[in-house]
Amino acid sequence: MAVRHFNLPDPGEGLVEAEIVTWKVKVGDAVKVNDIIIEIETAKSLVELPVPFAGTVTALLAAEGETVAVGTPIISVDDGLGGDVAPVAVPPTATSDDDEEIEAGKIGGAAPGGRVAVLVGYGPRVTEAKRRPRRGGAAAAAPVVQSRLSEPVAAEPVVVQPASVPPTGSGRALAKPPVRKLAKDLGVDLSQVAGSGEGGIVTRTDVQGHAAGVGAAAADGGALLAEYAAPVFAATAEREMRIPIKGVRKVTAQAMVSSAFTAPHVTEFVTVDVTRTMRLVDRLRTDREFRDVKVSPLLVVAKALVLASRRNPGINATWDEAAQEIVVKNYVNLGIAAATPRGLMVPNIKDADQMSLRQLAEAMADLVSTAREGKTQPAAMSGGSITITNVGVFGVDSGTPILNSGEAAILCFGAVRRMPWVVKGKIKARWVTQLGLSFDHRLVDGDLGSRFLADVAAILHDPSQALVWG
Amino acid sequence: MSKITIGKAINAGMRRAMERDPKVVIMGEDIGKLGGVFRVTENLQKDFGEDRIIDTPLAESGIVGTAIGMALRGYRPIVEIQFDGFVYPAFNQIVCQVAKMRPRSLGKIKLPMVIRIPVGGGIGAVEHHSESNEAYFAHTAGLRVVACSNPEDAYWMIQQAVESDDPVIFYEPKRRYHEKGELDLAGAAAPRPLFEATIARPGEHVTLATYGPMVKVCLDAATVAAEEGKSIEVIDLRSLSPLDLDTVATSVEKTGRLVVAHEASTFLGMGAEIAASVSERCFYHLESPVIRVGGYNLPYPPSRLEEEFLPNLDRVLDGVDRALAY
Amino acid sequence: MSDNEVAMPKEAVDAAAVAALIAPVPETVGGAELVQLLTPEGERVEHPEYSAYIADLTDEDLRGFYRDQVLIRRVDAEATALQRQGELGLWASLLGQEAAQVGSGRALRPQDYAFPTYREHGVAWCRGVNPLNLLGMFRGVNHGGWDPNENNFHLYTVVIGAQTLHATGYAMGIQHDHAVGTGDPDRDAAVIAYFGDGATAQGDVNESFVYAAAMNAPVVFFCQNNQWAISQPVERQSRIPIYQRARGFGFPGVRVDGNDVLAVYAVTKAALDAARSGQGPMLIEAYTYRMGAHTTSDDPTKYRVSAEVEVWKLRDPIARLKAYLTSSAKADKAFFEAVEGEADELAVTVREGCLSMPDPEPLSMFDHIYVEDHPLVEAERAGFAAYSASFEGDH
Repeated sequence: MAVRHFNLPDPGEGLVEAEIVTWKVKVGDAVKVNDIIIEIETAKSLVELPVPFAGTVTALLAAEGETVAVGTPIISVDDGLGGDVAPVAVPPTATSDDDEEIEAGKIGGAAPGGRVAVLVGYGPRVTEAKRRPRRGGAAAAAPVVQSRLSEPVAAEPVVVQPASVPPTGSGRALAKPPVRKLAKDLGVDLSQVAGSGEGGIVTRTDVQGHAAGVGAAAADGGALLAEYAAPVFAATAEREMRIPIKGVRKVTAQAMVSSAFTAPHVTEFVTVDVTRTMRLVDRLRTDREFRDVKVSPLLVVAKALVLASRRNPGINATWDEAAQEIVVKNYVNLGIAAATPRGLMVPNIKDADQMSLRQLAEAMADLVSTAREGKTQPAAMSGGSITITNVGVFGVDSGTPILNSGEAAILCFGAVRRMPWVVKGKIKARWVTQLGLSFDHRLVDGDLGSRFLADVAAILHDPSQALVWG
Repeated sequence: MSKITIGKAINAGMRRAMERDPKVVIMGEDIGKLGGVFRVTENLQKDFGEDRIIDTPLAESGIVGTAIGMALRGYRPIVEIQFDGFVYPAFNQIVCQVAKMRPRSLGKIKLPMVIRIPVGGGIGAVEHHSESNEAYFAHTAGLRVVACSNPEDAYWMIQQAVESDDPVIFYEPKRRYHEKGELDLAGAAAPRPLFEATIARPGEHVTLATYGPMVKVCLDAATVAAEEGKSIEVIDLRSLSPLDLDTVATSVEKTGRLVVAHEASTFLGMGAEIAASVSERCFYHLESPVIRVGGYNLPYPPSRLEEEFLPNLDRVLDGVDRALAY
Repeated sequence: MSDNEVAMPKEAVDAAAVAALIAPVPETVGGAELVQLLTPEGERVEHPEYSAYIADLTDEDLRGFYRDQVLIRRVDAEATALQRQGELGLWASLLGQEAAQVGSGRALRPQDYAFPTYREHGVAWCRGVNPLNLLGMFRGVNHGGWDPNENNFHLYTVVIGAQTLHATGYAMGIQHDHAVGTGDPDRDAAVIAYFGDGATAQGDVNESFVYAAAMNAPVVFFCQNNQWAISQPVERQSRIPIYQRARGFGFPGVRVDGNDVLAVYAVTKAALDAARSGQGPMLIEAYTYRMGAHTTSDDPTKYRVSAEVEVWKLRDPIARLKAYLTSSAKADKAFFEAVEGEADELAVTVREGCLSMPDPEPLSMFDHIYVEDHPLVEAERAGFAAYSASFEGDH
């Protein structure tokens, strides 16, 4: 026994109610489908309504003379079948601009389901301005909108990747147009930048990081170079310029001469696949531990050098001619050669071997900013035990560096390039760099020097080696 | 191997199709005794009879509409529209009926018909005989649209279009009808699939995608560019719907730059779709925006001005240079 | 004659002939040439040419005509009610045109092919198409859910007049199949193309006349002149009675009383026979009346007087047949009640079938666009599937 309800349909334009005029049936009457059961009145006309189902009238839900709102059930009919059907509220009617009252079901008039009648179909309906809820609650794949003017965030926004992101082996740098422009403006060769995006896509952050110097020296290479007072000949200048020898230039010259012509210099080279180091650098850059400190390959080189020094203490030493002693140091004061506004300086990080990677990074950043400001103190430049000089920032591969006075070794760190390399029998594009190590052959023989250099290379090749030696 | 014109290649292809399948008929104006105003159906009525080469009354909607009826009855009609500008009376039948009848019938009806349309300008004609209206039909779901550019393609593509069970709009480059090219009529080489693009000329620096009458212009442009040290990869799209974006994307991933050229007005032409799709697919590969070289946004001008209107070698190379300037 | 004068044509135009062509509406409904075999009152009258074509009809056939018309009228009424209750988006009622459709539909042989407009529910019935299949299109579930080749009844065509060209082309195909004029009654085939008075203005319809004449195609053009094209009377479409236009194209035209199922049957049979035997096309104008609105939301009171409708009620096709069957004792009360009962049951079936008609699966909209796989369609289908799946709730 299912009782069904028939709701008052919308009678016309903008009207939300109608008056019950005459019931054509009473309770207990049997009705067939489409029997006219009621007469209602709109503002303009009488309308007869046919009932959409058959059965027995169980209740008249509105009285003659009563004004009833559209959507109100007006009659219940027991259709003799199972399952009650609850009355369904009629959604608000879509109204058109016409003031004229149009009969329900005629063009421009109200149509079932809250629509407006048209000649050729159901007609338009009122829609809600609302988004459908999505699975999982979160907005699907909505990229974090990031102002390009803001500081780059450590984590790149989630990007919906296109269907085909080519393998990085395609040989072309992948970057979106604004990033390409940035690279061009900064003078960065995109093909030399490690891309941290999916599939090797080079991001804005990558370019900016690269411009700040892959394996940068303590100072911002590019920007600082510009400040260095290189001689500039004006168009109408004399054929020669005479610069007085004094200050840092004089001191540097004396130090170079003293070092070069006292210690017998030998330089060894090794070419290393540093792809894993580059990956580590990428990872660290997004690591919360290193969130607000600069991470670059130079940091890893520094750490490698420190570890290698512990393994090969003989290289972390000094030839003391006066005392006729070789002084092996139980600490690593790591010097970083820096081109500063005042000239070449080599400030060192005291007890670098006691530092965590994070602390080392902070110390290097501190050293860089101090040097950039030209405020490096003499104390910072004394007592160094071993030095790194970074020529990679200039795009140079390697060199034969001159030892810092009082030290037995200096590591030359070159540019990191994409080079073809044999990996498991196949040629692949890898990040490759050259390390050059000059050492004082009075106290460092070839085997020590080679072992030391090999150790540095080993860590750069596979940073997890640090776990074994650390 | 022989040299043959595009017109004769299409003739030969249709002849092969008709020999293979007795249900293939050709319907159009002046195609019988006259052999068509471009002679593309020359001698066919003589060999296949008036039953199969049907000269129709002068009413394009009627040609397409009755062809639909023939197809419903099981025939495979090839409809010849005499000139591109004359297809518009049949537009209703093509868009509302040819394109929609299969989905309307939930797959029970197929209309394996080919509508051949000579397309494009450069023949010094009066009004309405130099249109490029491929975008209207490529935009119509339910149709397939192809454009041949050379005799070899013309010969194979018309046969493949006839064999397809879907309706195909077959564009023929009317200004190239009488230009000759190599075709091995006896050759056993398997033809390229109908809906695939081809690398007409490989290159390194810029991808130049085009179709139909513009292919020759672009190949000439590439030859000139090579002398300037620019290596252009020319793609003959061949199929406009569906578009073989894979071939284009692979090329753009190599070169990083794309220029699309067509006679049709640039505004809302095929180049717009290709540019949008490639921008999305190859975003990280693009060194420059996609450059389009097309006709101006005005009705085809009088013949004395058509050389100013049509994209020629200079305009194409200007487009290439714009792409390379980024 | 001076240089300024123009020579008059040698044959003077016959003013009387012109006047006769553009004659005012004659007093006889449908004109003197109207073919009729059953008057509105249900009396049999003879026609010199067409009486012969009903000579073979049995009493059972006649009762069948009655049953056909009653049942299709009932389906039509049910569909109209369903639309008012929001179950159909719209419905094109054939009320008043039952005889025109049943009479012509029953004249078809199985191998003949019919091209309807969107109102030929009576022809669909004769061709064996399930009435529920007609409702699908108006409910918005499909664009026509039956297999045209199953019943030789093409899908409904909404574009006015477009199907007449398809019909002509199909007839040309029959010619190509050599299924015309062979003398074999099971092989010779013809096509019937239905269209309304409004459609006769369309270019496509006129082109189909041109093609049919030029090709001598076996197609019968069946125009149901129900006097109204939405709000426009037939005079807006044609200055001359529609059946007379055939002469201008070079083939015969006949006007028949569209509410007289016997006459419609006779004339259609004659035309189909002629077409099948290779005599080419004919135009039949079935003179009838659209008793209802153009479609359910159309309001005829805006453009026609109700008095006109009342007049046509007196010409009802079913009433006159019932009167004849009763007076000639070819059917009794039991028969009529049985038909009513059958109509009631059919109405219930149609109603229940309509209400339980499932909505199409969203993904199905990507089906059947092409015969061969199309990469863009497949890509979009996959994209839509993923998009749908990303929302909460049932899909």
